[in-house]
Amino acid sequence: MAPIIELRNVYKRFGDNIIYEDMSFEVEAGETFTIIGGSGMGKSVCLKLMIGLLPYDSGHVLYRGKEVGDMDAEQLRELRRNVAMVFQGGALFDSMSVFDNVTYALREHTKMSDQEMLERARECLDMVGLGYDKDILYRMPASLSGGMRKRAALARSIAIKPEVILYDEPTTGLDPANIQRIGAMIQKLQKELGVTSIVVTHDMPIAFERSDRVAMLWQRKFPFIGTSAEIQHHPAPEVSDFINGRYYEDQD
Amino acid sequence: MRGPFEYIGRELRAGIDWAGGISLLLGRSMARGVRRPWGIYDIFSQIIALGIRSLPLSTLMGVFVGMALTWQFGEALMGFGAKNAVGSAAALALVRELVPTLMALTIGAKIATGVTAELGSMKVSEQIDAIASLGADPLKKLVWPRLIASTVTLPLLNVYGNVLALIGGAFIADFVFDVPAEYFYETYIDELYPMDYISGLVKSFTFGLLVGLIGCYQGFQTKFGTEAVGISTTNTVVATSVAIIVFDFVLTTIFLPVG
Repeated sequence: MAPIIELRNVYKRFGDNIIYEDMSFEVEAGETFTIIGGSGMGKSVCLKLMIGLLPYDSGHVLYRGKEVGDMDAEQLRELRRNVAMVFQGGALFDSMSVFDNVTYALREHTKMSDQEMLERARECLDMVGLGYDKDILYRMPASLSGGMRKRAALARSIAIKPEVILYDEPTTGLDPANIQRIGAMIQKLQKELGVTSIVVTHDMPIAFERSDRVAMLWQRKFPFIGTSAEIQHHPAPEVSDFINGRYYEDQD
Repeated sequence: MRGPFEYIGRELRAGIDWAGGISLLLGRSMARGVRRPWGIYDIFSQIIALGIRSLPLSTLMGVFVGMALTWQFGEALMGFGAKNAVGSAAALALVRELVPTLMALTIGAKIATGVTAELGSMKVSEQIDAIASLGADPLKKLVWPRLIASTVTLPLLNVYGNVLALIGGAFIADFVFDVPAEYFYETYIDELYPMDYISGLVKSFTFGLLVGLIGCYQGFQTKFGTEAVGISTTNTVVATSVAIIVFDFVLTTIFLPVG
């Protein structure tokens, strides 16, 4: 089966700072694929390349075999309808209520009535465990806790029923209970909706317990890709040192 | 000797890049904005946010500019025994130059910095990326409504400011120089031709476009962190002020022969 997302020989730099050199990997439909690696190495950049939020210098980024870099505005719009992203801080729109945030993509892509949108928003908020708060729809993002903001952001991304969800550090800054909750939610969405998940995280339990495959970013590419068990017991010292939190003087 | 030339060259290059970026933003926003849906709701929301909330400051500006200028002209004209001509003297300066320019420098700078701070914060917190990732167009959603709103708002505030400047001027003429307010009003209006109003409106229309454009561009150019929002906002004040002064001169040279 052809991969749903494929990055082949990708090069990306910001000025003099080289992020990726000849980087390649592919993601199969329906799997949970987790990306780990040091801070500031460009893991989030990788997600943004997949939906055309950032351009790449050369190589190929393919969604269902189509080159993302060659897509016009309408094709990009369609791509982003199918591939949703949950941003690190949630990136909820401050000026809008939770309801307007969650239904944003529905208003952009569908002709649903207000009542249908309301029902869909409630359904999504239930799915992410925020349905218990009856007033949540009308609350502003500023009044939500960190965990609630992340879950509301997740509700916003699933409202349009995407086939791929990109998670940019979904558990950063959360307490252990919320980390487990988000992890379980990622797994639940994969099992119940068949969503392909690509997760960037620093949380090793999430990476190994909730993923089908794990890729480690190292020296501007992904030389270590395997199942959770393979990566956990990988013989390369770079991998074992990273996942066990052993410090390196020169990681690059 | 290489140092100063290098510096000038670098600054010149940065200026050209900036102007190019601004032009590109204008072109792209216009190209996408004119496509349906036009975002009428967003535009009206911005007109309220940028315009209605600027009314108190516009009121102060209009009244005090009118009073200050009339007082200055009145003092000068008294020396020639021509204080009755104060309405005629103040009219041209206020309508063609002072109200549109001062209004743009204050209200315009307020609007531009507000837009930069808002969009800059959205950029830093990845909200602009989030709009794009949800399949919407940030230029259409964020830039287009602000651009149209500021371009419409500043001329409207200019008209409002002109009325208040006239009232402020009439007050000073009557109470300080003993020139009846009715007489001030008549001489003021008699002095003005349609082209004087048009030149003031064209100026404020241009300033409005510049203000919206610079505000949005600087917001989108914000780098990372809250400090970057501060830097962008400061740059916006400088860029807006310089652009208004330069374009004021250009438009004055165009309209003076016509008027």
